[in-house]
Amino acid sequence: MIPDPLYDEARLQEIADLDLLSPDVDPILKDVARQAAERLGLPVSLISVVLDEALHVAAIQGPEGLWLDETRGHPVEWSFCATSVRTREAFVVENAETHPEHRSNPLVTQDGVRCYAGVPMISSRGFVLGNVCVVGLETREFTGGEIEVLRGLAAEAVRRIEARRTR
Amino acid sequence: MLSPPPGTARLPGYDLREPSEDDARASLQRVFGPDRGAELWARACREAGLLPGQVRTTAQLDRAVKALSSQGGSASVVARSMEIRLRTFARLAATAERQGR
Repeated sequence: MIPDPLYDEARLQEIADLDLLSPDVDPILKDVARQAAERLGLPVSLISVVLDEALHVAAIQGPEGLWLDETRGHPVEWSFCATSVRTREAFVVENAETHPEHRSNPLVTQDGVRCYAGVPMISSRGFVLGNVCVVGLETREFTGGEIEVLRGLAAEAVRRIEARRTR
Repeated sequence: MLSPPPGTARLPGYDLREPSEDDARASLQRVFGPDRGAELWARACREAGLLPGQVRTTAQLDRAVKALSSQGGSASVVARSMEIRLRTFARLAATAERQGR
C-alpha cells in the first residue's frame, strides 16, 4: 500500500524547515494571493499549507469578516487543497454542489463555496507544501490559461518561500 | 469550574467534533508511529505539567499542544494542526451559540 503523503513525516519536516507556519510568511505571499484573486476575478484566494490534519492559511486575499481569516485554517477533511498533495496536480471544482467528494463538504453546505481551482506548490526537494488557489461563491468554468496563471503564481510563491531558506 | 471534557461536543452543520486527547495521540501516531508518537505526547504532557491519558479539559489540551509545538520540527507542524482544529471548533461553536443553534 502506498503511504498517504499527507502524513509523511519528511513532508511535514520540510514545512517546518521552511518555517512556513511563521506569521512572517504572510507579507511575503499576500501579494501572490492578491494577484491570483484579481487575475482570475474571484473573491477569495489562499496560499495554503496542507498539514497532516488541517489546512494552514499562509496568506489570504478576501473580504473582511471571513472566519477563516480568524482561525487561519480549517480541518483537513474540508480541504480542497489536500487533493493536490496526493496527486501533485492542479485540482479544479467547477460546481461544488454536484462534486462527488465535496458536495457534503461544510465549506460548500454552510459557507457557500461553489467553485475552486488550485495548483500545488512543490518545493525544490520535491515535497508538495500546499496550494495557490482561488475560491468563488458561484459555479464557474476554468480555462487552461487560468490554470497556467495559477501555476506561474505557485512557482513564484515557492521561489519567495525558498529564498528565505537560503538567507 | 472545569469546562466539559473535550471530544464530546459536536457542531451542527459542520459535523465537527471537539478535539480530544485521543485525537492528539492518534495524529502523532499516524505520523510518527506508535512508539515515537506516544513518546512525543508523553513529553508534551510532562512539559505542560499534565499526565498522559488524563488531559481532560480543553484548556489542558491547549497547554499540551503548546508544549508539543515547542518541541519544534515536524512535531510542531502536527501541533499546529491540532491548534487549528481547536480554534476552528471554538470559533464555529461560538457562532452557532450566538445564532441559537
